[in-house]
Amino acid sequence: MKVRSAEFGTRNDSSAECGDFGEFSRAVQSAVYKSAGKPGLILLLLSLCPLLTPSDAHAMHIAEGILPFGWAALWFALSLPFVGYGLYRLRKISEADLSFKPLVGLMTAVVFIISLMPVPVPTAGTCSHPCGTAISGILLGPAISVLITAAALLIQALFLAHGGLSTWGADIVSMGVVGSFAGYGMFKIARVMKVNLMVAGFMAGLIADWATYLTTSLELASGVRGDSPFLPLFWKIVVAFIPTQLPLGILEGAMTAGMIGLLSRKRPDLLMKMGVLKPGDALRSGEL
Amino acid sequence: MKMMSEQARKDHILSRIDARVKLVSALVLLAMVLSYKGFVFPLATTSLCLFLCITLRVPVRVFILRFSEPLFLAAVILLLKFFFSGKEILFSVHFGIDIVGYRDGLVEGLMIGSRIMAAVSVVALLGFSTPFAEFMAGLSWLRVPRGFIEIMMFAYRYIFVLFEDATVIYNAQKNRLGYSSLKRGLSSFGVLAGSLTLKAFDHSQNTTVAMVQRGYDGNMPMLKHKSFQLSEIAASIVFMGGMGLLWNL
Repeated sequence: MKVRSAEFGTRNDSSAECGDFGEFSRAVQSAVYKSAGKPGLILLLLSLCPLLTPSDAHAMHIAEGILPFGWAALWFALSLPFVGYGLYRLRKISEADLSFKPLVGLMTAVVFIISLMPVPVPTAGTCSHPCGTAISGILLGPAISVLITAAALLIQALFLAHGGLSTWGADIVSMGVVGSFAGYGMFKIARVMKVNLMVAGFMAGLIADWATYLTTSLELASGVRGDSPFLPLFWKIVVAFIPTQLPLGILEGAMTAGMIGLLSRKRPDLLMKMGVLKPGDALRSGEL
Repeated sequence: MKMMSEQARKDHILSRIDARVKLVSALVLLAMVLSYKGFVFPLATTSLCLFLCITLRVPVRVFILRFSEPLFLAAVILLLKFFFSGKEILFSVHFGIDIVGYRDGLVEGLMIGSRIMAAVSVVALLGFSTPFAEFMAGLSWLRVPRGFIEIMMFAYRYIFVLFEDATVIYNAQKNRLGYSSLKRGLSSFGVLAGSLTLKAFDHSQNTTVAMVQRGYDGNMPMLKHKSFQLSEIAASIVFMGGMGLLWNL
């Protein structure tokens, strides 16, 4: 991927094409991977092994039309209680704080941009990407994070053909519900165990990403298996995702740690307001 | 940066149809495509939707960009199903290794591949012909909770702002060798994402202040629904009836 940094700085909204999201995000991904050097090469070589194992994996945003009607409806039904609870929490918090809805909208925009950074998955014939749900879960809570993911996914499906309307429910469950709760849970457990803030952020991002992909594999295997047995197909899909998910999980962990680290250095007040840090935490030696 | 609805011509008859009619029709058509066992109906739907996209004068570059991923995906699934899944052998060739094509795998692959293309075409046509604000009004009419629609409206507004911020930060990092090694690359990537979050917090505070000064009380106004056109509803029913007949064949 050719990095075209000069163009990004000079374009404005009206002149840029709709493919700019992809171009920008590919440039960032490419720059990170190019900077990998020797460890990156080893990771790449390791990741090539699953190329020998063809399978039916499709994407983190499961593409439109892949799931049959029954499965699409089931995943949609499963996502509804979580979205409903998120809406309840949103209404409750917004009653006390008028700035909360705009904040949730802005975080949706952040998750939207982060989850549009595609990484090709050659074994699956599709693209993969970071989720950004760990950071939204940590900062705003997992229930609101589900809502954020649902909104970002719907905009992507409708106006960028990324994901789909019929697979919206499945995508909400994998990215929103599992990603947010896994990331949030991991962060909380790590903090209870007195793990450093940035390390806890790294673990949260890593687990959120990998948990999301495991769920996506489960959704795909159950949806497209036809008469084939479930487990072999599930493991094939999991293996097919490894080339991207192994490094991408680490990238997501590093991104989450970087975000938490930057927030703790520049705006610890925000972390305290969101309940991520307690007042005493900021003074702890080596924490920030 | 432009969304799909901004790529198509605005004077086309599809662009003028009530968003609610288009939304309901698209959802019904999507359900038909997903529940169909075969590939004739999905292929017919794909052809129809692609033809309508062409009449909407969607630029070729945008068209290719939007359809390349699902097309590639459908092709990969077709090949995987054809060569790796099935029991009934269609042909077998030996080129050092045995290459076997399965008849039932081919049928299943065609079914899934055509379903993907049809579903993507339906949603793409909806996206190309419906502006965001009208779509939100349509969702509101479908009783989608107001809080959810408001979040989407805030997000849509600020995606463009944050995207611009992200490109500026990325350029600054790159010019300062922020991606010259693995460690620096990961660190820069984290800082980029963190900066976006910080900007999101700041923008939300500024937006709230500005909105409260203009009378914001916690609820955003929606587009008011115009009354339904009988001709649009009738045309939609006739169209869905025709597609229903095709679905039953």
